Amino acid sequence: MAPVVTAERLTKTFRVKVRDPGMKGAVQALVRPRNRDVQAVRDVTFAIEPGEIVAFLGPNGAGKTTTLKMLTGLLYPTSGRAEVAGFTPWTGGPECKRRLALVLGNRQQLVWDLPPEETFLLNRAIYDIGEAEYRERLAELVGLLELTEVLEKPVRQLSLGERMKCELAASLLHRPPLLFLDEPTLGLDVTAQEAIRRFLIQYRDRHGATVLLTSHYMQDVTALASRVLMINRGRLLYDGALGALVARITRMKRIELVLGGGDGGRVDAETLAAFGEVKSFRFPNAVLEVPRDEAPATSARILAALPVADLSIEDPPIEEVIRRAFAQGLEEEGT
Amino acid sequence: MSWTRRYGALIRNAWLIDLQYRASIVLWMLWGVTEPTIALGIWWAIAGDGRIGGYARADFARYFFAVMLVNQLTIAWDSWYLDRWIREGELNFRLARPLHPAHEAVADNIAYKARTASVILVVWLIAAAAWPAVRLPLAPGRWAVTAVAVLLAAAMRFFISFTTGLLAFWTTRATAIMELHAGVSLFLAGRIAPLSLLPPAVAGVAGVLWFRYMLAFPVELLTGAVYGSDAVLRGLAGQIVWLGVWIAAYRVVWTRGIRKYGAVGG
Repeated sequence: MAPVVTAERLTKTFRVKVRDPGMKGAVQALVRPRNRDVQAVRDVTFAIEPGEIVAFLGPNGAGKTTTLKMLTGLLYPTSGRAEVAGFTPWTGGPECKRRLALVLGNRQQLVWDLPPEETFLLNRAIYDIGEAEYRERLAELVGLLELTEVLEKPVRQLSLGERMKCELAASLLHRPPLLFLDEPTLGLDVTAQEAIRRFLIQYRDRHGATVLLTSHYMQDVTALASRVLMINRGRLLYDGALGALVARITRMKRIELVLGGGDGGRVDAETLAAFGEVKSFRFPNAVLEVPRDEAPATSARILAALPVADLSIEDPPIEEVIRRAFAQGLEEEGT
Repeated sequence: MSWTRRYGALIRNAWLIDLQYRASIVLWMLWGVTEPTIALGIWWAIAGDGRIGGYARADFARYFFAVMLVNQLTIAWDSWYLDRWIREGELNFRLARPLHPAHEAVADNIAYKARTASVILVVWLIAAAAWPAVRLPLAPGRWAVTAVAVLLAAAMRFFISFTTGLLAFWTTRATAIMELHAGVSLFLAGRIAPLSLLPPAVAGVAGVLWFRYMLAFPVELLTGAVYGSDAVLRGLAGQIVWLGVWIAAYRVVWTRGIRKYGAVGG
């Protein structure tokens, strides 16, 4: 299948004013303003197939949102090209915009003083949705997002989670094949985060939509994305499956033990250290880190030598992997 | 008709939002009435029983009632909205929709003008019933020409305000520029005094630039100070020329600004 989103050497440079602190700096900036070019996105290239859910990973200011904004036509790139649903997004006009939805976690389209249904009706008119289609789609979205109770309350009285669900509903009434989500779960509690994740998967499965999202929450990424694009300081560092990224970054596995048996109390940290690096030990729980390829053999030795009630082999927590990846400055060299 | 539906929905939304803030409606109305009333009070006192520049008390009364109405029908607040949209990233979702943000602004203008002007019209009718000085002669032809001039003035003031607001792509002081324009227009557009009372050089500047066509010209049409097909056509031509200039300015500023846009925030 042809990709539905492509970016080729996409680059965005912002010119920002710089000034020294204090009165002197303020006067200098007035008399002789100085600018500095900040490369927010540099030579980013990737392609996304229809139906994929892809997550952008990266710290604040990495260039995730800037890339998303270029792909949705909000920003003109400094150089490079992109194609979204067959259009160049920044010149694609209304026809291109009808094919996509942009949901911004902290900038919302819902009219603050009115119930969400008024925004839905406005979008019905803007996207030229027929009455029957509107009713059917609204019923589907209200069902999937469990919105029945909130439709008639003014937006300002809704919780953050309810607002985000309504925001999604408003953005999807025209049933776009392409969803761009910037931090869709930002600030939400665990239940609301899960509801949003569940909805996105259902929506993709029902309508074959392609989803590109950014998030700070690794749970979003692990639950949703089949593929991650890791970006830092504007550069694309990694493009591929999350599992492969983990394997690549971390050469270690974690062995989690629950000690048991009559002699369990005699096992101490020193004994455990003989098998691998002790990450934590608080009887009866212990966590060891061992080289990835030695994990099965070490596990067998532990089982033979120690009174073990339970043992499991895990990858290190994904947050730690990602943190390590950015710290190491993982460079993707021609995959 | 999707455009009728779109505008219908946008205007409906604007009204629904207004209805949430009844107090602010009253404040805006008072604002619209206060300035011309103060100006009228001053000229009323100065004129006494005589005439100033051809204006007697009754003429001043008619003039400032017309200013009140025409100003409400042509005023545009868009620079303030655009400045916020651009600086705070509220333009983002508007750019992601298949509808140019200017349409929302136009719809807001229609909603605002229909609301405030209708109230001022009622105030005027009540005043006219009690006070012959502010009555206008029944002249359908003049009213029709005035309607065209008001429409052109409203369009021009919309493009002035929208374009000035777009300067927020470059500067954080876009609204200050609009304030400056409002200050100049206090004199040059005829808000504080009929243009014929200004020094000829100043009135001349107002007529060469767009200021007279923003407000004073339609007001003079309504009160009958401008008459005769020559003067009327010259005025309408001036309005059309300046409207064209501001549309051209808008196009240049929009195309360049949107490339400059930083899309701040999420």
